[in-house]
Amino acid sequence: MSLPLSPRDGGERYPGFSSVDESDHWDRATQGAVLVRLGLPPDIRFFTAREEAVARALFDQLLDQHSDPRVPVVNMVDSRLAEAETDGWRYADLPEDGQAWRETLAALDQDATERHGQGFPEVTLDQQASLLRAVQDLGYAKWHGMTAARVWSLWTRYACTAFYSHPWAWDEIGFPGPAYPRGYKNLGLDRLEPFEVRDARPAQDPAANAGGDG
Amino acid sequence: MSAVRERNSSAWLLPPRPGVDHGLRKDMRRFEDQDEVDIAIVGCGAGGSTMLQRLARAGWTAVGFDAGPFWDPERDWVSDEAGSHHLYWTEPRVIDGTDPVPLGSNNSGRGVGGSMVHFAGYTPRFHPSDFHTFTADGVGADWPIGYSDLRSFYEDIEEELPVAGEAWPWGDPHKYTYRPHPVSGNGEIFLRGAFASGITAKVGPVAIANGRFGNRPHCIYRGFCLQGCKVNAKASPLITHIPDALAHGAEVRADSMVTRIGFDERTGKATGVHYVRAGVERFQRARIVAVAGYSIETPRLLLNSANARFPEGMCNDFDQVGRYLMVQGAPQTAGRFAAEVRMYKAPPPEVSTEQFYETDPSKPYKRGFSIQTVSPLPITWAEHVMAQGHWGAELRRYMSDYPHWACLGALCEFLPLAENRVSLSEEKDRHGLPVAKFSYSQCENDQQLLKAAQSVMERILTAAGAEETMTVKRYAHLVGGARMAADEHHGVVDSSCRSFAIPNLYITDGSVLPTQGSANPALTIMALAARTAAILVKGD
Ligand SMILES: Cc1cc2nc3c(=O)[nH]c(=O)nc-3n(C[C@H](O)[C@H](O)[C@H](O)COP(=O)(O)OP(=O)(O)OC[C@H]3O[C@@H](n4cnc5c(N)ncnc54)[C@H](O)[C@@H]3O)c2cc1C
Ligand code: SF4
Repeated sequence: MSLPLSPRDGGERYPGFSSVDESDHWDRATQGAVLVRLGLPPDIRFFTAREEAVARALFDQLLDQHSDPRVPVVNMVDSRLAEAETDGWRYADLPEDGQAWRETLAALDQDATERHGQGFPEVTLDQQASLLRAVQDLGYAKWHGMTAARVWSLWTRYACTAFYSHPWAWDEIGFPGPAYPRGYKNLGLDRLEPFEVRDARPAQDPAANAGGDG
Repeated sequence: MSAVRERNSSAWLLPPRPGVDHGLRKDMRRFEDQDEVDIAIVGCGAGGSTMLQRLARAGWTAVGFDAGPFWDPERDWVSDEAGSHHLYWTEPRVIDGTDPVPLGSNNSGRGVGGSMVHFAGYTPRFHPSDFHTFTADGVGADWPIGYSDLRSFYEDIEEELPVAGEAWPWGDPHKYTYRPHPVSGNGEIFLRGAFASGITAKVGPVAIANGRFGNRPHCIYRGFCLQGCKVNAKASPLITHIPDALAHGAEVRADSMVTRIGFDERTGKATGVHYVRAGVERFQRARIVAVAGYSIETPRLLLNSANARFPEGMCNDFDQVGRYLMVQGAPQTAGRFAAEVRMYKAPPPEVSTEQFYETDPSKPYKRGFSIQTVSPLPITWAEHVMAQGHWGAELRRYMSDYPHWACLGALCEFLPLAENRVSLSEEKDRHGLPVAKFSYSQCENDQQLLKAAQSVMERILTAAGAEETMTVKRYAHLVGGARMAADEHHGVVDSSCRSFAIPNLYITDGSVLPTQGSANPALTIMALAARTAAILVKGD
């Protein structure tokens, strides 16, 4: 299964590669933990309807997911917050994670309304992106009374943990996922296992050539 | 090898297959709360488990408490990043200061085996110079012991883990019993770049068996060391010390959170530990108490054990508890290569250099740093990429390039500062106990080290052919907070890890370290605990 991503943006670099195809080689505990992510996403329990809408738009932006199929990031984050599965710490100037999510989503929605007369989910994608860039650009300055960089860290940490725990995201980056009990036999530069797929466009260095050589 | 087995037979007590021996656990000796055991140990991590094994072997009645579970790796651990969240101490904590240090996954574990369950596996020794940085350089602190006091304990623990690596030229030069592991793409890049830039780098030292060790198998190079090694190849006290402790009559009381240390005002001695198990408050009597709950929970427990004699927290007459907490500055620099590195293959700890460990008189800063391979898995790697400011389409584009990146990490010796400390927050945990608040701020020397380490990593990666590098600032390895010192005005425990204030209260974890060098701390924590156990056994 692959997520929609144009070759220009790094899509289709590992043609035919599928981490889940190898799931017979994973141990049972790991199969249980990973394969459930491919099932029906858990119902939203933590976010209010409005928070869900803002969070959905925020995650679509952060992870560039603008069409289906999508990794259900909003459900995955909601489920962590409902279960209070935090990282085990919070910044002294932010409330605990659940409350911090509620407050920052409301603040983002408020920014959109003040600037564009419509809430965050309702403004255009470009407007959403520039609202986010404005938060990011604040760095250690305050945003709605909170240190912007820490809000950014909260959003991106939860977003990345959800997205890159999903086998579809692994397929896009050439990562085979679980590796027990089989392990790896071919170590070293350019040495692949039979089930790994070589990068079809190795010259697509994202930095040297933003936009790619697709 | 027989000498190791006579000292610690853990590796031979494990079953000859993955998993742990349920027989030993089922038949484990169990003490009653009203029994006065010889020692109650708080925390079954690096320091606590070593004490438990040594003392049980010496015939002491000993109970090790752990707030977390008694892991069954086959059932409880997964070969997956996000699914390993339960390995970390995720009860609430507050972080503050000008450079707050994120905790959780990055910094402390829970459950039998402690943080070593998910530690990377590097096990270097400290250098002789680490023990007197104040005299030599006017920074840090002098330990009340020297390197020679620890040397034989280093050797013992290295054999018990066991450690594999090349002959070590730095600090006190020494050899390892086990040959170095083969290296993966990431290690190859480091070796190649170091060679090209005139830097000496070596493979190891890692606490990962190379070849069979007792019933523990060889590493399968699956790269999930930070998620707990299901194979039993990487060392953690769960497999290196707990089996032998159980076989010698120790009890491990898991899922038991110690909330307060008992104290008798008349005798001035500790009486045991108050703990909560399955929601019930209990008290275990003990002749001696040893605290080994990690650099955050150890000071927190002492502060939460305040009483009429110690109104500011147990052993805190001179405002030393919780202070001089240290983290190593651990920036990671990654480089992009045309070749496929696939750094997720093989254990993240592979190659390191300690060439920059000591004070270099030609530099404006004191002390130094080490450099090691680190190999972030996708979630951690995404955080690295996002830290560069990339998100949205740019993030996905960078991430699709994952197989082409190699990553090195530095460990910078940040200096111990009195204001970097654990105190109690207003916020309470579910036991109604105030949670720890950890404040951290860097000093000028720390910042200079960060810059220097980053430039050396860039130099190595560029020399290896990197087309681009990017760096993320991180921290690693908390130690200190109840440090060892010559007297009670400068620390909490004496040279044998006995508290100055209470004659039968010991601290035997990373909290006692007065300085941290730029070595990963677990081996030193275990060696110190083994030394304290030897002192206790001798004095008994
Ligand atoms: C991601 C990561 C990678 C690391 N890599 C390395 C490495 O490569 N090399 C290295 O040397 N070090 C490494 N470390 C650090 C190393 O694991 C720790 O420094 C070391 O384990 C600390 O030992 P300790 O005895 O102080 O505490 P721990 O090993 O953490 O043990 C403390 C134990 O006490 C228990 N506990 C705490 N409070 C209580 C209480 N009140 N009641 C009951 N139980 C309690 C906890 O559950 C825990 O099990 C790494 C750490 C992390 C997080
Ligand atoms: S790489 Fe080796 S030591 Fe690390 S988890 Fe895998 S088998 Fe264990």
